[in-house]
Amino acid sequence: MTDAQSGGSRWNRAVTALDAYRGVAAFVVVFILGCFFTPRVHGTGLPIFLSVQTQVDILFEYCEYGLLATGMTLVVLTGGIDLSVSSVLGVSATLFALLTIGYGWGAPQAIAAVTACGLLAGSINGVLISRFRMQPFVATLAMMTAARGLAKLVSGGTKVQPAAQPWYKLTDNTPDFFTWMTQGLPGIGLQPATLLFLACILIMALVVRRTTYGRHLYAIGGNEEAARLSGLRVGRVKVLTYALCAGFAALAGVVNCCRLDLGDPEAGFTFELDAIAATVIGGTSLAGGKGGMMLTLIGVLIVAYINKILSLNAVPIAPRMMIQAAIIVAAVLIQRQRKGQT
Amino acid sequence: MRRAIAAVVLAAALLPGCSSPAKDGAKDETKGEVKKYVIGMSQCNLGEPWRQQMNKDIEAAAAKHPEIEMIFRDAQNKSETQQSQMREFVQQKVDLIIISPKESRPLVKPVSDAMAAGIPVIVLDRKLESDHFTCFIGADNVKIGREAGKELAKQLGGKGSIVELKGLMTSIPGHERHNGFMEGIKGTQIKTIFEADCGWLEPNAQREMKSALSRFDQIDAVYGHNDPSAHGAYMAAKQEGKGRENTIKFVGIDALPEEGVRYVKKGILALTFQYPTGGGEAIDTALKILTGEKVEKTITLGTKMFNKENVEAGGVAL
Repeated sequence: MTDAQSGGSRWNRAVTALDAYRGVAAFVVVFILGCFFTPRVHGTGLPIFLSVQTQVDILFEYCEYGLLATGMTLVVLTGGIDLSVSSVLGVSATLFALLTIGYGWGAPQAIAAVTACGLLAGSINGVLISRFRMQPFVATLAMMTAARGLAKLVSGGTKVQPAAQPWYKLTDNTPDFFTWMTQGLPGIGLQPATLLFLACILIMALVVRRTTYGRHLYAIGGNEEAARLSGLRVGRVKVLTYALCAGFAALAGVVNCCRLDLGDPEAGFTFELDAIAATVIGGTSLAGGKGGMMLTLIGVLIVAYINKILSLNAVPIAPRMMIQAAIIVAAVLIQRQRKGQT
Repeated sequence: MRRAIAAVVLAAALLPGCSSPAKDGAKDETKGEVKKYVIGMSQCNLGEPWRQQMNKDIEAAAAKHPEIEMIFRDAQNKSETQQSQMREFVQQKVDLIIISPKESRPLVKPVSDAMAAGIPVIVLDRKLESDHFTCFIGADNVKIGREAGKELAKQLGGKGSIVELKGLMTSIPGHERHNGFMEGIKGTQIKTIFEADCGWLEPNAQREMKSALSRFDQIDAVYGHNDPSAHGAYMAAKQEGKGRENTIKFVGIDALPEEGVRYVKKGILALTFQYPTGGGEAIDTALKILTGEKVEKTITLGTKMFNKENVEAGGVAL
């Protein structure tokens, strides 16, 4: 064995070891870029990007996307896709506003009802896909259209806010819960909305890693036929997965309603693309069977930080869109390299 | 790994090149001897020509005052984005914020937070449902509609049949422009023979006008709630091929330089009424606030009428 060879293999080992932390490294690069390209506080000259408040804002501003991406990752791991999350978000936001503002329900009951509706919508997706063998793209596309229509129907075509309709219970202020969700908790600084997202994604990371259900997701995504032949109840797992995905979308709807202080039937429009992008940028393969929840967390953070950096620097929309596209392409290229290696 | 980092660096390397013009606005000015004022402007949607004009007006007014530095932001019709822009301005400790809100309710809190942080806020065009702002500057759609009605009545000699192509009737400006116009033609023998909700959009107006043309032989005038609607109606009459575009009087609202005013110059529209952006007034007011002068809580803007005779001279203020 020559020196060159052993050096080469050592290098290869190092690369393999680092491979698992690819996403983390990309995130660090983005963070460093943020430190360089930051406007400064007028007067004191401190970099805005590094302030604690900015970090808190970044997480807060992306919690709907984060919740959608959490559910999306489950679906994508099975090799599927869910386009309906944006509309489910819209219908939940509208319904949540209608129940609390219109009918004067308490927040817990309203959240329970909205989540139940989300789970139901997701189950319908799951049944259409597993039982009726519809392609996930088509089934969830139909749900996307139907749910958006439903959002417009229940809202009566207007935004649901106090006194928007004469019969609404609340005529002046929205419930205190709305403010509570979107204000930093004393001592922690993070908003309950952000904590909800972090709790959801961390719990699902454990579920995906440690439970039988998690292993089934990978099995189905890796080779559905093999999973079926080995006795796995593919249909059930799929229905549960799509239900969970829509359930998270429903929670995202609640967050969105609190953020906007009203229920907008158009809420979440095109959010599904951002959720898919965050999942893919994290490194979960759209082909299914490869990836993980922590990768998606990193994907969400990368997208959130890049957008914050672009926003802080007041980059106009035209170059901003092209930069976002370049980042998606870059992420997919990285993924392809990984596949080639394994 | 290397490729991973390279790809991200490549993507992000586009940053400095693209952001340089905007960065000038956000640059730190601690070293300057002259007192500089940094003003943040959050526009709800730069996709609309009228809103582009608002930004242009602000830019032009700010350019006359070298002590002012503008930071422009476009919220792209998303309330969420506009909320975070407000937070960023507060973080950045700008001296004053100008906001043209997409929607009242989501922005009430971010604006009052900025006020609480000691930053004065000027609200442009759409009002906020709260008292926590420094000054509201907006135009009066009822007055504009009324002036349009009065002037058209004068031109038609107090009688005639008109078509009204309305703006989005689920929006407040649509109602105000309609109600004002009705006040303006009150007591005359002008009758609305056809009306349709065109949602501010030219293609809809063109389609609705075609229906009106096929139903009525005698149409004396068209009142469009905005210039594109009036222009769409003109195009429909022209496409009909009976030369009626020369006899019908088309009236629009907004009077953007590249839109309504140009149409009047070309003889397409008989009249257009300016819906002022308030951009210039916003900068004047901002300077007053920054130098400690007192300003009114609500500033209502006037309008200008443009017709064939006065269009070259820049219209006449009403």
